[in-house]
Amino acid sequence: METVTLTIDGQPITVAKGRTVLQAAIEAGVSVPYYCYHPGISIDGSCRVCVVKIEKMPKLQTSCSTLCADGMVVSTREPDVVDARAGVFEFLLANHPLDCPVCDKGGECPLQDFSYTFGPADSRMDFPRRVFDGEGVKADVDFGPTLMLNRNRCILCTRCVRFMKEIDDDAQIGIVDRGAGSEIATFQEQGVHSLLSGNLMDVCPVGAILTRDYRFKSRPWDNPTVVDTTCTLCSKGCNTSAWLKAKPEWAKGSRLIRMTPRYNPDVNGYWMCDIGRFNYHWVEGESRLRRPMTRNGDVLEPTAWHDLQPRLRDRLRQARGSSESAASSVQAPPVRFLVSAHASTEELFVLKQLVEGLMGSEGLNAVTLAWTTSDKAQPAGTKFKVSRTNAPNVNGARDLGYQVGAGNEGTPDLSALRSAIESGQTAAVYVLDPGPDGSLGDTSWLIAARQNGTLPLLIVQGAVMTDLASAADFVLAGSAFVEKDALYTNDQGRVQAASRAIAPPGEARDDWSILVALGQSLGLALAYESAIDVRRALAATMPDTPYASADLLVVTRPVAARNWLQASNPSERWKWDFLYQDLPPVKGHSVQMEGISPRAAYIPLKLTE
Amino acid sequence: MTPYAPILTSHVGEPNSYSLDFYVTHQQGYEGLRKALTQEPGDIIDQVKTSGLRGRGGAGFPTGLKWQFVLKDTPNPKYICCNADESEPGTFKDHVLMERNPHLLIEGCAIAAFAIGARVAYIYIRGEFYHVQQILEAEIEKAYAAGFLGKNILGSGFDCDVYVHRGAGAYEAGEETALIESLEGKRAQPRIKPPFPAVAGLYQCPTAVNNVETLCNVPLIVLNGPEWFSGMGPEKNGGPKLYCVSGHVKKPGVYEASMHTTLRELIYDHAGGMLDDRPFKAIIPGGSSVPLLLPEHLDTPASFDDIQKAGSMLGSAGLIVLNDSVCMVWLAMNLLHFYRHESCGKCTPCREGCDWLYKLLARIEGGEGQPKDLDLLFGVSSNIVGKTLCAFGDAAATPVLSTMTLFRAEYEAHVREGRCTLTADWRAAHPVMAAH
Amino acid sequence: MDYAPAKFHKSARELAEPGGAFAYTPEHQAKFDANVKCYPPDQRRSAILFALYLAQRQQGYVTAAAMRHVAEQIGCTPAEVEDVVSYYTMFFTKPVGTYVLNVCRTLSCALRGAERVTAALSAELGITPGETDPTGTFTLIEVECLGACDRAPVVMVNDDWHECLAPEDVRRLVEDLRTRGPAALTGCHLHKEKAAEATS
Repeated sequence: METVTLTIDGQPITVAKGRTVLQAAIEAGVSVPYYCYHPGISIDGSCRVCVVKIEKMPKLQTSCSTLCADGMVVSTREPDVVDARAGVFEFLLANHPLDCPVCDKGGECPLQDFSYTFGPADSRMDFPRRVFDGEGVKADVDFGPTLMLNRNRCILCTRCVRFMKEIDDDAQIGIVDRGAGSEIATFQEQGVHSLLSGNLMDVCPVGAILTRDYRFKSRPWDNPTVVDTTCTLCSKGCNTSAWLKAKPEWAKGSRLIRMTPRYNPDVNGYWMCDIGRFNYHWVEGESRLRRPMTRNGDVLEPTAWHDLQPRLRDRLRQARGSSESAASSVQAPPVRFLVSAHASTEELFVLKQLVEGLMGSEGLNAVTLAWTTSDKAQPAGTKFKVSRTNAPNVNGARDLGYQVGAGNEGTPDLSALRSAIESGQTAAVYVLDPGPDGSLGDTSWLIAARQNGTLPLLIVQGAVMTDLASAADFVLAGSAFVEKDALYTNDQGRVQAASRAIAPPGEARDDWSILVALGQSLGLALAYESAIDVRRALAATMPDTPYASADLLVVTRPVAARNWLQASNPSERWKWDFLYQDLPPVKGHSVQMEGISPRAAYIPLKLTE
Repeated sequence: MTPYAPILTSHVGEPNSYSLDFYVTHQQGYEGLRKALTQEPGDIIDQVKTSGLRGRGGAGFPTGLKWQFVLKDTPNPKYICCNADESEPGTFKDHVLMERNPHLLIEGCAIAAFAIGARVAYIYIRGEFYHVQQILEAEIEKAYAAGFLGKNILGSGFDCDVYVHRGAGAYEAGEETALIESLEGKRAQPRIKPPFPAVAGLYQCPTAVNNVETLCNVPLIVLNGPEWFSGMGPEKNGGPKLYCVSGHVKKPGVYEASMHTTLRELIYDHAGGMLDDRPFKAIIPGGSSVPLLLPEHLDTPASFDDIQKAGSMLGSAGLIVLNDSVCMVWLAMNLLHFYRHESCGKCTPCREGCDWLYKLLARIEGGEGQPKDLDLLFGVSSNIVGKTLCAFGDAAATPVLSTMTLFRAEYEAHVREGRCTLTADWRAAHPVMAAH
Repeated sequence: MDYAPAKFHKSARELAEPGGAFAYTPEHQAKFDANVKCYPPDQRRSAILFALYLAQRQQGYVTAAAMRHVAEQIGCTPAEVEDVVSYYTMFFTKPVGTYVLNVCRTLSCALRGAERVTAALSAELGITPGETDPTGTFTLIEVECLGACDRAPVVMVNDDWHECLAPEDVRRLVEDLRTRGPAALTGCHLHKEKAAEATS
């Protein structure tokens, strides 16, 4: 890699050729404020706060738009830079409503953070602030199905405009009017309608664009823990962060408070889609399964695992026995498995051992994988394409030997399973579906089969009370993706780990352990104590594949951020995570600014010069 | 008055001076282009460089150098953009050239395109000049018909198209990168430089952006030689120059002269002296964006370098003459109203600063100002200067900084008295109809 | 996700008139198609200002429907068209009078009494700058420098100029405009041939 070496504040820094001074400063841990710059979108050079002094250049330069060159000498601390920067902050704040106490961005706001560090001590602005849509809460206006807009807070960095144009490829946001009257707006106030809209809150460096989902729901200091995980709502496998609330009682009992993208240049860049971002409420929702249940006549009754397990074992044995006389149990297995591609690789691995233990090497034929696909309405040129397949692990299932047909490109084929059930050849169906409601697609035929008696036994292991689960004889409370450490193989074939952010509720269990317990009760020697045991076995079974190091994949625990700023501020997380910046800005103080006197509120008059 | 025979505007007063026939008959029309096409493009650039022609749009940057910077080794097309977005307050010279001598510009565009290797020239004309655009377009069509534009011009194998692109009301479109953005169909906002237009301009292709008057000089240089051009006027300030004189003079108008001509000559000889013979107070010598000059500067030659030495800039040569009745606080407020209205809003200091400055000036002018407002005016202006994306910020702060430096007493009086202390009420004065 | 915009505050931003279904007349469509050819084939967006002028000529102002039509013609989003429309001062998104009186208010004209011209027009028409008179004949607007500082105060009426307008001549101009239409305007003094035609 070609590099250049420059000096920033006396510190020699070597960076890849083509990097800007701002990027070099960030990499080197030199704090330079910025708003219009975002690593994922084009450079604009309009906010002017990243000004630095570069030797041999007559004027101060914006570091975001200046390429590093060998021998360049950059200063971020000289008095004229300090003054110029503070001057720009004064302008930025001149019309910014200081409603931080009611602003959702408050506490993780780059405008707050940077102006504490670099801004002037106070503002000389004594005119009424510019008001666009009204004062206070009236300023929060409709900005499409997922967003709210507060123009009073906007500093016109145009990150949102550029995001929609460059990443989404549908320039729905523009600027209307000009000069001090400029405001961001959608055509005729239609709002933003995009599958990527949630990213706009992340790129917004102030509280101007907010997601409805997170609005007024929490404050950053109430979300002190973050878990790095992987989204499982489609086969793309975006790397995400799950944010946890310290006081769940303030959010109607849920701990999961938001999902934000986590930078991974190979998978999702800086972005994620709205499905993954907003579709997490089911995990802690009303229909979440908290206890195992068994059928008693018309009703499902909560029960205990130790009561349920022997009965389940007996019913399954009975089901297998009832058709042992049948000529070929391999072609028409009495017990069939319908498995959602939301099942993790660990679960699929244990299931494979289970069915092969029970039915021999042809056991996998008894398993049918199911998932749904849908066309996501996205502009043709989008830089962030959401996958068609609404499940995370079709490729993982294929790698383990399951029959998935065309896999990610195609739709599942349930016709054989359906005809086997509807012809009355099947004694029992075991459904494994840790995904949200609907992840198996249409199950009405299966419900009908159970209800009219064609299918004698239906067991559902899952996370939510679906219509299918309501029709089951046994309901086994499993775990959703944020409740377990699990592997998923995305549509690129990349094996990624999702991490347990919250514990499964009530008596719900890890899905692999339910399968292990079932296998053991049926007399199989499945000796796994923990998920890592399963991953070790998986790794040992599949050498020379990406799974060979499955046990080494990093799953993270909730991180209690020592400095909440370090973990907050989703739009800037990439910086902390990937550029090793270890100097968190501290309110009112910056290590970089040590020894530099704060700028006077009033510029001394230089008229006599 | 220094004897001087107009060249660019020699015939503008005559009927049909705009027509192709007139141009060919009386002004050696398209002879420059004919001559240029027999030479190498590089030679044309050299001649323009030797002539010392400096951009007439405001910055005074050497035109030959600008052309030389245009990227040569590129598979992309190159473009000439003629900046006819004449919007600087006090400037109206390009208007005359386009209206009365359009073929000079068309010929200039064609030669410029030939010199840098472009095949297309766009004339970006401000939207308010619709009547000028109509003439220009009609004359371009005639030039096509006569074989001076289009395919295989004058049998040389050189193709060149000239199109007129109409703006729609934006001062900022006169900034060269904003002009390019506007030509690309976006809001006229400046781009970060580098890359300069010479490398990545219109459609990210190498582009030269030149003022109308600049391009009009090109045929003359080619025809008469660079020495003829540089010999006219002071060193490094050669060639004919158009001056726009407006404000408190008897005969406002466009006057052509060499850059030896002093401000005094322009006001008292060309423009007939001060309106109502009132005393001269100050002059804005280069369009509203430059610092004011005082009576002691009246004998300064109106050249790029001399005006700069006097502490201002020749800019677009828009001379706004002010008599003793003009309140400088009002003047700054009037201009900041303009800059606030025209600020594109892209970069922070200009967007917020112009608005703030205008509010402060309106408060002081309205008699509500406080002593601290004067420091604040100065502080806010200083915070804009040098911090903005384009030169607009500096231009906007200039009227404030200049009037505050030169006429601070008027500001202080406003704050102290709560009103304007100038006795002459210029607003009651009848505008005098200048005899043209 | 359910979208019920009514639940939330709507922006107070003044929107362009929605307007009825809009399409260029065949004549305007032909003009647009010809203009687009001035630019490289992949740069249709360059014709946006021209396209908007056509729309404005067709309707008197640019409606939201017209912006949509222009977006389709240009191949960009309506938001990008609205962005451009709102930036430039010569496009109207509300109906305006038959004659739009643009009075220059910048320094050179102001020094020659432009403020009094505006005041006189205001009084004569009974409207303040930015308004249209009840008959829909006149819209009064104060604009920044028109580039005719030597003929101050200058007024642009639609696309035409009227130069050296003294405040006391305002009443006559307004009446003249009412009766004679654009012929009442002086036009640009540089366009001598046109003036000669008019008098002959």
